[in-house]
Amino acid sequence: MDDYCRGQERSQTYADSSGAFFSYVRSLSAGIREELPRQIELATRFPSRLPVLRSRMLTLKRYLRLLHALVKPAADAHVLTIPAPLVNLASDQLMTVEAMRRSKIVVLLASELMYFQWPHTEIKIQARFVQDFIPSAVFPPKLGFIELPYSQGPSFFTNLAIYHEIGHFVYEELSTSVPANPGFSRLRSRIYKSLKRALPARTKDPQALTVALRIIENWTQEIFCDLFAIRLVGPAFSLSFIEMLGMLGFLSRSSSIRFNPTHPAPAFRLAEHVRMLREDSWWDAIVDINPNQKKILEQLAKRPSSSYRFYIDEGRQGLQSLVTIFLDVVTPAIRSLVREVTKNAACSAKQFTRDREVVERCLLAGVVPHKPNSVPLNPVSIINASFFFYLTSISQLIAKFEKDGEHTKVDVYSKWTKRVEMWTMKAIDDSRLYERFRKVKVATHGPHTK
Amino acid sequence: MTPIDLQDRAQYLSLALFAQQIVSVLMEFVDEKKSAKLKSALDGALNSLQRAKDPTALSKSKATAFGSYEQLRTLEEVWSDQDRARAVRMIRAVLRAPDSPKSREIADDLIALFSELQNQALWNFEQPKPVSPRVMQRLCQLT
Repeated sequence: MDDYCRGQERSQTYADSSGAFFSYVRSLSAGIREELPRQIELATRFPSRLPVLRSRMLTLKRYLRLLHALVKPAADAHVLTIPAPLVNLASDQLMTVEAMRRSKIVVLLASELMYFQWPHTEIKIQARFVQDFIPSAVFPPKLGFIELPYSQGPSFFTNLAIYHEIGHFVYEELSTSVPANPGFSRLRSRIYKSLKRALPARTKDPQALTVALRIIENWTQEIFCDLFAIRLVGPAFSLSFIEMLGMLGFLSRSSSIRFNPTHPAPAFRLAEHVRMLREDSWWDAIVDINPNQKKILEQLAKRPSSSYRFYIDEGRQGLQSLVTIFLDVVTPAIRSLVREVTKNAACSAKQFTRDREVVERCLLAGVVPHKPNSVPLNPVSIINASFFFYLTSISQLIAKFEKDGEHTKVDVYSKWTKRVEMWTMKAIDDSRLYERFRKVKVATHGPHTK
Repeated sequence: MTPIDLQDRAQYLSLALFAQQIVSVLMEFVDEKKSAKLKSALDGALNSLQRAKDPTALSKSKATAFGSYEQLRTLEEVWSDQDRARAVRMIRAVLRAPDSPKSREIADDLIALFSELQNQALWNFEQPKPVSPRVMQRLCQLT
């Protein structure tokens, strides 16, 4: 793994966060090479301990096996294979989240068609134990892992799902922080107390409790992450989510109301999306834009909560009291927690309203969105306006530049979708570049510099 | 291994590493007469065993293991209730009188107990099992 990381870093360009991870792998390898002779010496001095020392080596090997599974997808995710402008923007936004400054995201490219955040808490715990054994191998603090399907790497709109995955990273990081984050402690205490009250006596044996707890925590994280994503990137996340649910077949009448052990019902998730969008004034800002995805969002969000059902598996209905606790007690606490966590990171619907027309005009003219006065557009406005443009107006763009009737051809549609995505990414990069330039200028010449 | 598989397996590995840490500290104590890390490691073990009785108990103490189904199940597979009570008694005895020669004998027994736990966790890492039907049944609607 050590040689592999070195080789990859020589031939590809990576984000700093991936570099920090590779560097950890290298320091661990070097530490193991130093430690092995000491283990042999221990085995020679205390032969009766040989089975214990052997288990120690086996445990370390299993840890290396887990790391092994992370190294290759991290090495595949160099800057040419991931939507770098989006990842960079999301990383910048993450820095504005309370208590997440100096956190880093390692992007992984997965072979499966799914977005995933690797739960890094266990890796961190394991790394701490391993550090007792290999003191020179210090796992980088606040390092999270987010996986994208390799086929979606360079595309833009579907990758808005990374905001949800970043939400998982934030949740894990803050819910396990030392000292404990007060908001997360309150949420956990609420979950524990309501679970104890609501569960029948038979479910109160420790194993059943850990499973019930995990189910509620899974639902909690999903809602937290959806709302977190909406706070950072607005309705574009909901639209991208609808596209993803449609692709996975979760929009049917029956599946949309099903809670399962890992996820809350899609209809409930969407109802929470709409609620947050309304409260943050986004709903008014997009009142006149009506792609099909928004109609689906509205329809599913209206499903009554009394229709939600919890299924343990395909056929068995689970304890409905878990859903009741979750809806009545836990969800209101999640809403406030998300607001608290994102108070400095939330995006603005007003800014979108100001920027939207410029973005649409530029895209329809086939150019990168920009303002004539060189003041940059807000990146979240660019994302939302471009996504709505893609969903409602791309055929106008195609009609302008292609022959009549071409917009129905899949390859033509796909070509122009890619172009809209590229222009969007370029506009975001321009905006970030300007912002960095402004910060350097302010740092050099003071806050009143024009 | 899919990410989900790895997530479940990771719980077993964390438990194996937790047990290994206890075993390492105890070995240093018995074989090399070093006790610098003894108190913090054994306190962690005691807190974790306490948590195993009620995973939803809100505690300010630092418990590093037995908070998940996989870890609790592994513990129950390898230690009986009596073993757990015995382990708690032995840990307290070592903590009470670390300098006594008797404590080294007790620590040696603890090494055997925690090694068993580590080996079972490693075994479960290789052969992860789904949640037991008994537990799932308890979370089903009474219909």
